[in-house]
Amino acid sequence: MWAQLCNTAIGVWLMAAPAVLGYGGAAALNDRIVGPIVATFAVVAASEATRGARWVNLPIGLWMILSRWILGSPTSARLNGMAVGPMLLTFALVRGRIEEQFGGGWAILFRSGSERL
Amino acid sequence: MTRAPDIPPGWSYNPASWSQRLPIVAAALQGFGIAGYLSAFQFGWLRSVWEPFFGDGSRQILSSKISRLLPIPDAALGAFGYLADAVAGVIGGRGRWRTMPWIVIGFGILVGPLGAVSIALVILQPTMFGEWCTLCLATAVISVLMIGPAMDEVLASCQHLRRVVDRGEPFWEAFWGQSHPETSQSSVGVDGGGR
Repeated sequence: MWAQLCNTAIGVWLMAAPAVLGYGGAAALNDRIVGPIVATFAVVAASEATRGARWVNLPIGLWMILSRWILGSPTSARLNGMAVGPMLLTFALVRGRIEEQFGGGWAILFRSGSERL
Repeated sequence: MTRAPDIPPGWSYNPASWSQRLPIVAAALQGFGIAGYLSAFQFGWLRSVWEPFFGDGSRQILSSKISRLLPIPDAALGAFGYLADAVAGVIGGRGRWRTMPWIVIGFGILVGPLGAVSIALVILQPTMFGEWCTLCLATAVISVLMIGPAMDEVLASCQHLRRVVDRGEPFWEAFWGQSHPETSQSSVGVDGGGR
């Protein structure tokens, strides 16, 4: 859960970063789109039953690193991407403790076969 | 077949218990209140709108073209959505994941898109207008907070329907809650809390 709260904070930071660090252009547009998406999936993943939503932030973390070269960004935006990307990616990998039981979770809906419970 | 009546098989708690559902209903009612206030401004009933941080941001965003794309202002649509969430959150008893899957899944479908639309609007604020709107952000936060807690109940209903189908029983009867042989004495259950 703490890892998902960290990613939530990163998402919110991305929304504010262009104004705080003073960069514009494609990197700012990117961060203002990516920020709310990151925060949303991280918040949803904070709930145990929907912890799987954390995986969405894994490719986004990769994209935050790569996009700085693809989009060609000012130094502040590039440094921000290099700092934020690896953190996003790492926190997305953290499953965390799941204390409740969910009858096999979402996976069981798609498993073929007979009765399991 | 014979288990504690309200806890889904293989679960440690009942996702349809009131302690699970009422916080979501409370959040939906807060969203309804804020969206209602914002739509009162959009309808022209209020002269100004509360904006503590972003100067003219709220006014600009709430009077933008995008907010008028549909026949009624977007905040009014949002208010209607939150109200529908609250109503769908209240209907049914503690066994509703099994006795009325249609309302649980309908509730999940309402909560999901409302969250998606809120996030789309949050993305549009700085990218299209270069402005933010505090209360619009507040409603988006509420929408997003509701998704996770609402989905466990949806999962329990989907698992129930899956078991029904696996047993070879008719899907739609179970979906509309017309047959639930596993439950007839659900009024006397143990508390579904499990926490």
